[in-house]
Amino acid sequence: MIKILRRPQFRFGLVVLVPILAWYILFSFRPIVLSFRMAIVDYDLLDPISSPFVGLAHFKALLFTEYQLFWTAVINSFSYALYISLGVPLALVFAYCLANITRGRNKYQWALFLPVVVSMAAIALLFRFMMTANGILNCLLKAGGLPPSRWLAGPESALPSIALVSLWKGLGGNIVILAAGLLSIPMELYDAAKVDGANGWQTFWKITLPLLSHTLKLVIILATIGALQAYTSAIILTGGGPAGATYMISQFIVEEAFANLRFGLASSVAFVLFAVILLITLMQFRLMRTKWEY
Amino acid sequence: MKIRQFALHLILLIGAFTSLAPFIWMAFASFKGFPEVVSSPRLLPLVWTLDGYREILSRVGFLMAFRNSALIAIPGTATVVLGSTATGYVLAKYQFPGKEVLFRLLLSTMMVPFTVVIIPLFITMKDLGLIDKLEGILITSLCSTFGIFLMRQTIETIPNDYIDAARIDGASELWILHQVIFPLVHSAMATLAVLTFLGQWDSYLWPSVLLKTTDHQTLPIIIASMRSLFATRYNIWSAGSMLTVIPVMVLFTLAQRYFVEGLALTGLKG
Repeated sequence: MIKILRRPQFRFGLVVLVPILAWYILFSFRPIVLSFRMAIVDYDLLDPISSPFVGLAHFKALLFTEYQLFWTAVINSFSYALYISLGVPLALVFAYCLANITRGRNKYQWALFLPVVVSMAAIALLFRFMMTANGILNCLLKAGGLPPSRWLAGPESALPSIALVSLWKGLGGNIVILAAGLLSIPMELYDAAKVDGANGWQTFWKITLPLLSHTLKLVIILATIGALQAYTSAIILTGGGPAGATYMISQFIVEEAFANLRFGLASSVAFVLFAVILLITLMQFRLMRTKWEY
Repeated sequence: MKIRQFALHLILLIGAFTSLAPFIWMAFASFKGFPEVVSSPRLLPLVWTLDGYREILSRVGFLMAFRNSALIAIPGTATVVLGSTATGYVLAKYQFPGKEVLFRLLLSTMMVPFTVVIIPLFITMKDLGLIDKLEGILITSLCSTFGIFLMRQTIETIPNDYIDAARIDGASELWILHQVIFPLVHSAMATLAVLTFLGQWDSYLWPSVLLKTTDHQTLPIIIASMRSLFATRYNIWSAGSMLTVIPVMVLFTLAQRYFVEGLALTGLKG
C-alpha cells in the first residue's frame, strides 16, 4: 500500500534529500561521467571541452603497446588479491572459536579488532621498521631456527610481506562479521543434527558452511575488492619497489594522472579496474549462489 | 567440553596476542633512544627516554597535522552520521515514487573505485579554488554511501507504529528523528561514527594528491614523509605512530560495546 506523503513529511524529505542529491551530483555522479569522457577523448588540459574523441584508443594502447608497467601492476594486484583472500579461512577459524566460547567474547573481539581501526600509515611505518634486516621479525625467525627473510627488500618477498601486513590489519573485521554470521544460525538446527547422530565435521559441512555462505560471500568480495584497490600500504611500505615488485594498479593510475599528466590513460585504467571489480562481484555471487535455503 | 573450551580460548589467545604484539613493540620502541632502537632486539628499553616524542613534536609540523586531521575528521564524522541517519530515515520510512531507483543509484556508487573519480574531483577542486585547502578534503567527505545504506537497513527494522504514534500525537519529523529514531539506532550510529572517523583520520590517497604545503597536510601524510625525513630513526617513527593511533584506539575502546553489534548488522544485512 502506498501512503501519500503528508505535508510535513514532504517538506522534511525535501530538506534532507535535496542537499544529499546535490552533493552526489557534484562529487560523485558528475566526476564519474567526466572520468568516462576522459577515457574516450584525447584530453586537452588547456581546452578540455574541445578534446578530440578517440574512442577506445587508450584501451587499445594499454593492450597492445609497450606499457610494461601496466601489466606488472595488473599481475601484482591480482597476486596481492589472491594472498589476501587466503586470509578468509583463517578468519573463519577465529570466528568459529569466537562464536563457540562461553565467556570473554568482548575482550577477544576488542583485541582482534584493534588493528582494523588504527591508521594504515602508522601501521605501515611500524612494520617497515619491524621488517628491516636485523629487525624484530628476523630476530624472531632466528630464535625459531628459521632463515631470515629479506621482507620488503626482496623482490620475491616484498609483495607477500605487504599482504601479510594487510592481512594482520584486516583480519579482525572479517572475524567479527563471520562470528556474527555464525551466531545467527539457529541452535535448533545443531540440536536436530545431534539427534540424527551427525558428528562435528558433518555438522560443519552440512549446516554451518551452507548457512554461512551469504556472509562468507560478502567477506570474500569485500576482501578482494579492497585488495585490488590497495594503495596506502604499498606506497608507504615499499613505494612500489623493489624493482616494481609491489607496483599495483592504484599506484599506476595515480602516477599516470598526477606525475605524467596522462589523464586519458589513467582514467581508462581506472575504468578497467571498475569493470574487473564489477565482474568479480557478479561472478562470486553467481558461483556461490546456493540452490536451496533452510 | 572443558577441553574444547580450553582449545578455543587458546587459539583466540594466540590471535589476540598476534594482534596486540606489534602495538606493544611500538609502544616500548617509542621510549627507546636512537642507538638502542636500531641495534637491540630487547622489548623493554634499557634507558627510558622521551627523545622520540620530543623530536616528533618539535620538528615536522606534527602538531599542525594533528590539528588538520582533527579539523577534517570531527566535522566530517558528525555530518556523515547525522546526514546518513536522516537520509536513511527518509529512504526507509517514506513512500514516494522513484525511491528504490534513487537508493540503487546511490548504492551503485559504492562499487566505483576512488581512482575513477580522483582526476575529475581534482579538477573540480581546482575550479572551486580548493586545491591545497582542508575544506577541499572536508567537502568531499560529507556524505557516505555506506552510511546511508547502513542506516536505512537499520531503520527499516523499526516498526512503523512507533513513528505513526508520534505523528498522531503531532510530533514534527525532526522530533521523531531525534526522539524516536536516534535512541533506537544508536549502536549503528556509533559503528558508523567510529568507521567514518577512522576512515577520515586514516585517509591518505586523496589528501596526498590535494594538499601540497606542509602547513596543510594531515597526519598520514606527515607520517609517510617521516620515512625519508627521519630515515632509520625508528624511535621517532614509533612516537609519531603512537600519537596517531592513540585517539582512534581510545574512540574504539569507548564505543566497542555498540560497535560490534552494529558491525555484525552490516555483515548480516549485506
